[in-house]
Amino acid sequence: MSEADPAAAPAPAPGAGPGSAIGAGAIGEAEAARFLLRAQFSAPDEDIEKVRRQGYRAWLEAGFAAPRGQSPVAWLDAQGHDAVRADLHYFWPQAGDFMIWNQLLAQPDQLRQRLAFALSQYFVVSLNAIDGYWPPYIMAGWWDVLAGGAFGNFRTLLERVTLNAGMGMYLSTRGNAKEDPATGRLPDENYAREIMQLFTIGLHELNPDGSPKRGADGHPIESYGQADVTNLARVFTGYDHDMRRVTRRSVAWQDTPVVSREFCLDPMRLDPARHSDLAVDFLGCTIPAGTPGPEALRIALDHLFVHPNVGPFFGRQMIQRLTTSNPSPAYVRRVAAAFDDNGEGVRGDLKAVWRAVLTDPEALAPPDPGDPLSGKLREPVVRFVSWARSVGIGSENGAYRIYELSRSDTGLGQSPLRAPSVFNFYRPGYTPPHTAIARAGKQAPEFQIHDETSAAGYLNFLQWAIRWGYNDVRPTYAALLPFAHDLPALVSWLNLHLAANQLSPATCRTIETALASKEVIAESPDAHKLDLLASACLLVMASPEYLVAK
Amino acid sequence: MSAAIAMPITRRLMLKRAAQLAGLGAAASLAMSLAAIGEAAAAEARGEEDYKALVCIFLMGGNDHGNTLVPYDPANYARYRAIRGAISHRREDLAPTLIAPRVPQVLTDDLRYAFAPQLPRFKTLFDGGKLAVQLNVGPLAVPLTRAQYESGNRALHPLPPKLFSHNDQQSVWQAGGGEGASVGWGGRFGDLALSGNGHALLTCVSAGGNAVFVSGEQALQYQISPLGAIPVKPIGEPLYASAAIGEALRRLITEPRPQHHFENELAIVARRSIEMEGVVNRALEGVALRTSFDLAPGENELADQMRIVARLIGARRALGSRRQVFFVSLAGFDTHSDLAIKHAELLAKLDEAAAAFYLATVELGVADKVTAFTASDFGRTLVNNGDGSDHGWGGHHMVIGGAVRGGRFYGTAPHVSIESDDQVGQGRLLPSTASDQYAATLARWFGVGEDALRIVLPNLGNFDRANLGFV
Repeated sequence: MSEADPAAAPAPAPGAGPGSAIGAGAIGEAEAARFLLRAQFSAPDEDIEKVRRQGYRAWLEAGFAAPRGQSPVAWLDAQGHDAVRADLHYFWPQAGDFMIWNQLLAQPDQLRQRLAFALSQYFVVSLNAIDGYWPPYIMAGWWDVLAGGAFGNFRTLLERVTLNAGMGMYLSTRGNAKEDPATGRLPDENYAREIMQLFTIGLHELNPDGSPKRGADGHPIESYGQADVTNLARVFTGYDHDMRRVTRRSVAWQDTPVVSREFCLDPMRLDPARHSDLAVDFLGCTIPAGTPGPEALRIALDHLFVHPNVGPFFGRQMIQRLTTSNPSPAYVRRVAAAFDDNGEGVRGDLKAVWRAVLTDPEALAPPDPGDPLSGKLREPVVRFVSWARSVGIGSENGAYRIYELSRSDTGLGQSPLRAPSVFNFYRPGYTPPHTAIARAGKQAPEFQIHDETSAAGYLNFLQWAIRWGYNDVRPTYAALLPFAHDLPALVSWLNLHLAANQLSPATCRTIETALASKEVIAESPDAHKLDLLASACLLVMASPEYLVAK
Repeated sequence: MSAAIAMPITRRLMLKRAAQLAGLGAAASLAMSLAAIGEAAAAEARGEEDYKALVCIFLMGGNDHGNTLVPYDPANYARYRAIRGAISHRREDLAPTLIAPRVPQVLTDDLRYAFAPQLPRFKTLFDGGKLAVQLNVGPLAVPLTRAQYESGNRALHPLPPKLFSHNDQQSVWQAGGGEGASVGWGGRFGDLALSGNGHALLTCVSAGGNAVFVSGEQALQYQISPLGAIPVKPIGEPLYASAAIGEALRRLITEPRPQHHFENELAIVARRSIEMEGVVNRALEGVALRTSFDLAPGENELADQMRIVARLIGARRALGSRRQVFFVSLAGFDTHSDLAIKHAELLAKLDEAAAAFYLATVELGVADKVTAFTASDFGRTLVNNGDGSDHGWGGHHMVIGGAVRGGRFYGTAPHVSIESDDQVGQGRLLPSTASDQYAATLARWFGVGEDALRIVLPNLGNFDRANLGFV
């Protein structure tokens, strides 16, 4: 790399403000593209230029301050998905997929969308399990929680996640009733368990660098037990959809009136009569018997939020989602420190976490060509969205009729908001067995969905989609058509914008030589040029050097 | 990978495995395994077929065993009803699926069981002696009483890691350790069988997603789609590209990349995918399977998976397969809510898929050479949480096949209770049979030698019996 090493600049203090931008001007275009392909999906020239001129921190601050795109609810409404129709459209899930693809592919607030996608793999609600009235609006309400809360505080987000109508359905807080001594019925433990295991503290007590604390016997210390779950479950009783704003419309084609969609968007509502009055004793915190529901929730969430595990547990996973599968303990510690204190004494400031994750010296240091374990496997959704935003897409009617793409044989092999369970598409600790990665004791979460089927299915999906698009969503390649015949320029453009120049000269030569077989010249018709452009994208996006973002 | 190049590789791996086992003092068992393979060759020379397959049907999310096998006799049904309330099956709905052991058995509290109404084919299989029920089985490190569990003395009474946690208990069931365990017992069985198969890679096959169960120390997990092996189309059918571009793509995705482990692993998977695709799909072309797997076409993902497993078994001769371990799965069993509806739908899929699979093995002439069994994260609470149940521990499981000594119950039936000593609260069953014993019984049938068993299932020695006798 010819540019100055940005990591040579003084490392910023975790959580430091925008004034501490790393030496602007020292950032090369490849470094800028690499940063942008982590912070968002694509690296448009104007963003590359801004990052180089302003520095990473200033670009992030501008992204934090940028206006939101069209909200998912507004988009669904504008597309007519709120219509009460005799075809029972209001029970269909598909527009939930259209909605999230539109958000990821087309809304201008890319930084927010990308980070919300990372959050959606930590706080998981999957459309797979959402049924009843208006599933797309349930997912829109959920996406609003994540995208709307991505630059706020973790504690606020945690409460919105907890009370969200979709989460209530997914982890069955909705309708969860207090114990009934007469029948022996007990509160549902689902959310109480998963909020601890997955959303806040994890299974083991952690050191600030993310490593497990070990007991005298050498084993990791478990952070909670069944009694904690059973107790905490009482806090999450008494909630159900808030139907106060809902209107009911009688229709000819079904016996019961159709309810309107507001319950999908409003936080769940507490019915004090169904809330447990028992004392709650969990993780050393006691909530006295008879504490009103909202107060019990506040105490419980506060107690989880201040647990020292949250910073390293959440921080390490966000690092894995955005920069590398195997951060050093020091990197995790710096991100956890930013979670613990944003520099102004505030805990849980997500902007401080994003700054710390994306501008850590370890993240910004040039990839070490001698390190066989650097970086991470790009996940299928990110590959697809990154491609679409880079080459340009359009929709003839704005419908974004892209369905669930989870199937690994006929689809992309992953689809946003379609995780198979609350444990996400893959686990943060996954190591593919029988590999050099395993022998090195390292992790590669995204490899959990990379196999003989998905490796082929991905390429087959691409082959079609990058030439002809998907339903109404079509690639334009507008910026590339003018120089499609100039193969070195074309491959160089794709290398920078899709792969941050991480394709080797040898790979570029292989691609150029193969593309020459298309014999495209300046005067070739556009259709011929589009064939070439799709072929070029296919080769780049098939390359291991692209697939592993270092 | 052709058979010609596969064999030397598996022999080499076999020798490596032999050396490892020898180091652990188990060379004898390996020799027995090798001898068994020699016998197999002799058997085939006499015109008899030597083939065995194990099929793990994993019920993802923790199956509600309480509504799968339901107390039917009036006294126990009344207890069940009192504890479960609104999520109970109605007793009159259970009459058609009431099961009676072929040889009378007296169970705890004179329990009589019915399958859930959605399992009519399971009843038929049970009545026909092709399905056995293993009662209250689950992960255990050592035999355990409730008092020992509650004593908290983990040095004396160790527990399986991270009870009640989905991802960990899935891993414990499949691989004996919490999440992160990298070698499953199906994979370990596969390690011993690698050298007997024409294609080592087809020893351990998952049609149900990435599963540690079918990952061995040497045996790799091969994942196949319900549609068969998936070709990389841009290589063979470049469409708008060109043959040269297709060839460049093949080279880019398959060339070794020793300088980066992640990149190299991508290349390894790509090579495996491309090499096996031709072999597998050619072999599958020769399989005509008439058994219907889908009463509601396209809506039973488990049936789709079990159909491709049946077809691969149908292709066993063409592929030179002698010992295979398969994994299929059905998700959605985490029925914290809406249990009555969701669980019934899932069981209906299980009933249809597993019964069709058995019939397919009959059609293929291998009914007594294929054994399918259920497993799950955990059983669930007996207590009703409103309209569902919560994470538990032990549960009931089913073993299906022509070699199964079916039509009877194995193990100890738990009391229908939330206070008895065979549960640890809320009706979470304390397993009375260890999943290692369950696995060992299947292993022995599969041909795993005695000493190898102790290595494959290290806790087995803590239990009185290594053979439960159901197959």
